[in-house]
Amino acid sequence: MRITTVRILVQILMMALFLTFVFVTTFTHLDSAPALKFWVSKFLDIDPLIALATALSTHTLYKGLAWSLILLIPTLLLGRFFCNWICPFGTIHHFTGWIFNRRNAKQKIESNRYQHNHAVKYYVLVAFLVAAAFGSLQIGLLDPICLLHRSLTTALLPALNMPVAETFGDPKLHSFAWVTGFIVLVLVGMNLVIPRFFCRVLCPLGALLGVFSRFSLWRIERDPSKCTNCDTCLKNCEGACDPHTQLRKSECFVCFNCIEDCPHGSLSFAFLPAREHEVTWPEVPARRAALAGVAGLMFFPFTKLSGKSTRDFSARVIRPPGSVEEQEFLARCIKCEQCMRVCPTNVLQPAMLEAGVEGLWTPIMNYRMGHCQLNCTACGQVCPTGAIQRISVDEKLGLGPYAAQGPIRIGTAHYDFGRCLPWSKNLPCVVCEEVCPTSPKAIHSEYKKLLIREGKKQVFSATATTVTLADYPPPGEPVGELCTFRPNEFRGDQTTTYHVEIVHRNGISETHRIRANDSDTLLIGELDPTSGELVSGSSFARMPVRGTVAAVYTELQVPKIDTDLCIGCGICEKECPVAGDRRAVYVTAEGETRSQHYGSGDRNRSVRLLK
Amino acid sequence: MKAKQPNQDNQPEASREWTRRDLLVRGGQTAAVAGLAAGAAWYLHDPRGDAGLQLPEPIHLKDYFANVDFPVDRPRISVAWGALETIERMVQAAVEGLHPEGMKGFVSRGDVVLLKPNVGFDRGPELGATTNPMVVAAVARLCREAGARKVIVADNPIENPGACFAKSGIKTAAETAGASVMIHSNAHDAMVAVRDREPDPAKQEALGVWPIFWKPLKEADKVIGIAPVKDHNLCHASMAMKNWYGLLGGRRNQFHQAIHNIVSDLGFMMRPTLVIADGIRVMMRNGPTGGRLEDLAIGGVTGRPVVVASVDQLACDGWCFENLLGRDPAVLAYLDLAWEKFGHDPARLVARSWREYEQQGKIIEQDA
Repeated sequence: MRITTVRILVQILMMALFLTFVFVTTFTHLDSAPALKFWVSKFLDIDPLIALATALSTHTLYKGLAWSLILLIPTLLLGRFFCNWICPFGTIHHFTGWIFNRRNAKQKIESNRYQHNHAVKYYVLVAFLVAAAFGSLQIGLLDPICLLHRSLTTALLPALNMPVAETFGDPKLHSFAWVTGFIVLVLVGMNLVIPRFFCRVLCPLGALLGVFSRFSLWRIERDPSKCTNCDTCLKNCEGACDPHTQLRKSECFVCFNCIEDCPHGSLSFAFLPAREHEVTWPEVPARRAALAGVAGLMFFPFTKLSGKSTRDFSARVIRPPGSVEEQEFLARCIKCEQCMRVCPTNVLQPAMLEAGVEGLWTPIMNYRMGHCQLNCTACGQVCPTGAIQRISVDEKLGLGPYAAQGPIRIGTAHYDFGRCLPWSKNLPCVVCEEVCPTSPKAIHSEYKKLLIREGKKQVFSATATTVTLADYPPPGEPVGELCTFRPNEFRGDQTTTYHVEIVHRNGISETHRIRANDSDTLLIGELDPTSGELVSGSSFARMPVRGTVAAVYTELQVPKIDTDLCIGCGICEKECPVAGDRRAVYVTAEGETRSQHYGSGDRNRSVRLLK
Repeated sequence: MKAKQPNQDNQPEASREWTRRDLLVRGGQTAAVAGLAAGAAWYLHDPRGDAGLQLPEPIHLKDYFANVDFPVDRPRISVAWGALETIERMVQAAVEGLHPEGMKGFVSRGDVVLLKPNVGFDRGPELGATTNPMVVAAVARLCREAGARKVIVADNPIENPGACFAKSGIKTAAETAGASVMIHSNAHDAMVAVRDREPDPAKQEALGVWPIFWKPLKEADKVIGIAPVKDHNLCHASMAMKNWYGLLGGRRNQFHQAIHNIVSDLGFMMRPTLVIADGIRVMMRNGPTGGRLEDLAIGGVTGRPVVVASVDQLACDGWCFENLLGRDPAVLAYLDLAWEKFGHDPARLVARSWREYEQQGKIIEQDA
């Protein structure tokens, strides 16, 4: 079998593995087969750029990221083997270039010569690594594995899901999915202009592997004595590494096309070939690299000085449960969006600028989309860098061994009394209390009497158990018109009751539940017709006289929040029937436990004293 | 890279004038395109311009009791007391108490049966927020034994449906018993007309046309509601009639503004084959979510696990509210509203209160 056929088979296998891992990164799959948790992030785990950049930003190497050492083995032996054998994004570009190719042999040769713009990826790498060293991790923007994970999660897989929603359930929604989708379309489309545009020009992982492959022991070697300078080797060259002359070692993808294309057998994959026949280092002028480093260096103060991750934090930046403190979070999150893929409720959304420019595409909670399910810690299980820690349900809820530290709070709910139905519109509701999952419920309700519209009246006449009301007169007029109520308007039900308060002339008042009413008279009790004794309801303690002030109230449950019990799960906000872009109950990041031991504690202490 | 430019110098000379053949072929092509465009315009034309206002025709729910041959003198409420180990026997005894043929009296050979448990929350079965999975499994098994072709278990939970069905234990229990779980998607919803006119607020009506989880209801010949008996913060209790709430789609939470109206409307909308109340782990407080074992009481105030089967969801709820939650049914306003809405229909086999059945001897209690 030809070596390129083997390569194609490996590429197909790797692509299939990658897609399978992404596909099964769902709550249901991981719940039914927990062993998959080891596998789903493997392509991210073996990515040495993620390992290096997070090591720079956190000074540690998180759990599975040690797997990246595995990838260094083929790189240090063979070169950028990863780019054309393993990388799923590379395979997409390779495939796109192959299927849409309209160039003839001559044009193909010209399009595969090394261009100076291919050095851009090294500047990108330097800028990202310098920024990472200062604590702002941005490699996820262009790292091919992160980029592909992200695009599949927020744009491509939901798009595929749309037409088959009836069988597979509704597709997830993500804010600015179109941006992520268009970016990947443009990057793939660029192959028609410059072959392997992303891999040759932009890819920071390719650049890092290029630096490592400078040390590789094998490389493509040309035998000048057999070579006729026909340039046929360039026809299908993927990396634009100039195999027709001195090989650019850091650009070669080890695709082996040149060896197969050479009609004279002058190319071979050679062990320790002569240094004179190669361009060993990437062609990166040192001053330009230094300039890129300065850009990365300045990125850090510029973003931090905007204050979005410190004092001017957005209360909408509610991080998933188990997240580390915000500065540490920004040093760890690679924007791969595995957490969003696995989230069962769709509450996790990619941030745009809420968390500052450095927080682009990091996960935040949007409680209009879903809520944080009480017994779920799926996001932390798949996070490859520990931005969201691998917590257990017990740890999340403060149960068992974690009882002393209490539950993890990701935010606190607040009421907007102006929008809340019982508080401002005299309507019964308390859906928020119904769905509040803590026990005892953080949201509790109390019965409250609220004056109905034009509820201030005047007594016209009364008996022991009835009172006839007139409208409260305008200033200067002695008696108002008799009221015109709807029959039994005030009978109420068990969730809403109506009451009449009589304020006697001596200032003493009494209040009675209204049992029934006609157009102007309220009934508060029933007397036995023969004995005259009260059978049900109540009777007036003191007979209301004409002209006395009477007020009609509705009594219903109004919700309140106990901030000590609220964990910020947001199910109240999600289920609130006041469905506009601002719900009547909403959760902010205030009170989150993850920042309680850090800095000024702005986010932690604004609603709750030290616990 | 560049597209091939036509070589203008080598352009062949036009050899001839157009012929009749050219006219027919090329003129025909032109005419065909014009004709197709005109035809499409004629077919698609919306002269009144109101096509954008047309609503799909709403569907009506079937009467899932229509094909049940239920003798009028049979008990209407069947109560089976037991223990945590005898749940399956309790379910069987409860159903057999209602109908001499047991489940065969309700489910015919070849039927598709929809079981509607309450799977509203992502909570384990020990917390009583969802229907006891063993009750669901027992009902599913009885349906299969009665010859049901297919048993579907479906609900539209508040939290992620897959997680709720898994955590509550209902998925495993149902599938082991030969039933299949149907996970809700918005694509499964259809607009259901609960009544043929606008709801009348004066009559305490709330439901007019509303999206409902239609796919399983469409397929089903019989519907069995299996509801846990739970405290509810607004409605006082969530039992057989409120269980149908889980079939609604859309932003159904707005109905809390008229909870008793809506629950009685749900009873009006749904004429089930049978309702089964799960009184095993009764949530006494902090409902409907609960969350702690202290919120629960085995068998409610009775202290004994109980399963209640009934053909009258109104009386069933009244019985459970009074006997399991130990509360005064006078506060359960939806019972009165339900009676006003469909109590007059003799085909619905509804009583004003379970006490009527008690006087008529139509409540059967047994140990299982």
